[in-house]
Amino acid sequence: MLSPWLVGFVVFTAYPIINSFYWSFTVKRYGSAARWVGLENYQLLFGNDDLVKALQNTAYLALIGLPIRIGVAMLCAALLARPRRGNGIYRLMFYVPAVVPAVASGALFFFLLREGGPVSSLFGLFGAEAPLWFGDPAWAKPALIMVGTWAIGDLMLIFLAGLVDIPRSLYEAAELDGAGRWAKFRHVTLPMISPVTFFALLTGMIGVLQSFDQAFVFSQGVRSGRLTGEPQGSLLTYAMLQLRQFQDGRIGFASAMAWIMFLITLAITIVMITTRRRWVHTANDGLI
Amino acid sequence: MTMRRIGTFVGQHAVLVALAVMFSLPFFFMLLQSVMPLDQAKTTDLWPRYFEWDNYAEVFRRVPLATYVRNTVLVCVIAVIGTVVSCVPVAYAFSHMRWKGRGVVFILILSTMMLPFQVLFVSQYQIFSSLGWLNTILPLTVPAFFADAFSIFLLRQFFLTLPEETLDAARVDGAGEWKVLWRVVAPMAKPGIMAVAIFQFLFSWSDFFGANIYLSDERNLTLAVGLVRLNTEAARLGESNLTMAAAVIFVIPLIIIFFFAQRIFIEGVTLTGSKG
Repeated sequence: MLSPWLVGFVVFTAYPIINSFYWSFTVKRYGSAARWVGLENYQLLFGNDDLVKALQNTAYLALIGLPIRIGVAMLCAALLARPRRGNGIYRLMFYVPAVVPAVASGALFFFLLREGGPVSSLFGLFGAEAPLWFGDPAWAKPALIMVGTWAIGDLMLIFLAGLVDIPRSLYEAAELDGAGRWAKFRHVTLPMISPVTFFALLTGMIGVLQSFDQAFVFSQGVRSGRLTGEPQGSLLTYAMLQLRQFQDGRIGFASAMAWIMFLITLAITIVMITTRRRWVHTANDGLI
Repeated sequence: MTMRRIGTFVGQHAVLVALAVMFSLPFFFMLLQSVMPLDQAKTTDLWPRYFEWDNYAEVFRRVPLATYVRNTVLVCVIAVIGTVVSCVPVAYAFSHMRWKGRGVVFILILSTMMLPFQVLFVSQYQIFSSLGWLNTILPLTVPAFFADAFSIFLLRQFFLTLPEETLDAARVDGAGEWKVLWRVVAPMAKPGIMAVAIFQFLFSWSDFFGANIYLSDERNLTLAVGLVRLNTEAARLGESNLTMAAAVIFVIPLIIIFFFAQRIFIEGVTLTGSKG
């Protein structure tokens, strides 16, 4: 049963991984041979204060943004899980932001949030001055979380699929025990979908660590001459900006960066997996 | 009691309507901008002075959309089939079968998700290049048949929510693991499988990076590449109305597919309900 994965893993994943590990100790450009430089790439990285800043920003997005996204997605899915007239339309409306291509949503939010745009007019109605959002380091991260929370369609879909799998009989049993709405959610729904929640948390965390496109798009050209993506700004992207080195052809250095990110992600994942027994309910989780 | 019911009904729908407005308002602005005349699209106006439907025709005039759509649909359908066929058995092996080393191999699978894809891409390009697959859709479809970590993980988590007793009952009746998988697990996990299929479809539909790298011939291009190329041109000229019109064209098929696909979540409920 494993064979499809195994073949693909060896050819499309393992070989590239080993290659990139080797390249992280070299200077390499596209189309040219790698030249061994030992730990130089890694030394360059750790001698850089910006790495700390980038990690702090990433932690902010992971600890504040991710729970908000998961909470909103779970709420939406819970409201729409039962078959009811009109739910199809609601599901569609909630899901739509997830399919809007980044090119369009970037332009769209830029339009909505710019000075004199609709959102600042809205603030004006209440006599308040709108923040500059992506033009202001203090507001860039909340704005990024806001845009991220808008596009929770995928997460909602996962929770929806998890919720409809829960056998009705469990709820009926809980009702016989006199459980109210909240008690049913707390003692039936939450434990039953905890494997799915675990998935959302883990992949969400990986996503935050790798989030690059969005932050990069928004940090560019929002206000002329000012990039919030720069380390003195407040976005997390500095670490991932290094990955742009792939585009510039600095493959060796970018590989070293990627491996640092990989090890950090792996460490967090292992912590999450080893502590999950305390909160993930599964009847037959024979893993590890 | 009835008053309370009405209260709950109104309360729930108030929350739903508020959320629906929040979620779809930006999309609504997108629709409005897509039909604005060019000079107005450059201002901060929200409502079009008049509806310039010709923006959509202009998009069709600038790029061969029909060809792009055909290529995109082909890539999406093949990739979705590949993902479902390859990931379901692997996910089953990691959820309802016990074997030595399962935990370690699973961590290995998870860890492949953690490497930024740029890391893998350089070597993958070399592989596809030496196979002579450049400028074909093979690099965008063939890997889907070799099970990706995200889909395996997602399906596995869904399979874990299924009661082991039902599977054991089938095993006692003499069903082999393959039979248990396709006759018992797959039908029960239909919503989860559908979610994976939707994600793969969406990913293939929107994949700009891969398509842009591997396809070069105009008649092989996909919608995502066409959209970005059109947009680069439009952005230079400040034609945000065309950007939005192209985005709407890009999104509409996805919306239609999602609307029909999400019905399976309703079926899912009734299925488990009747068994309950």
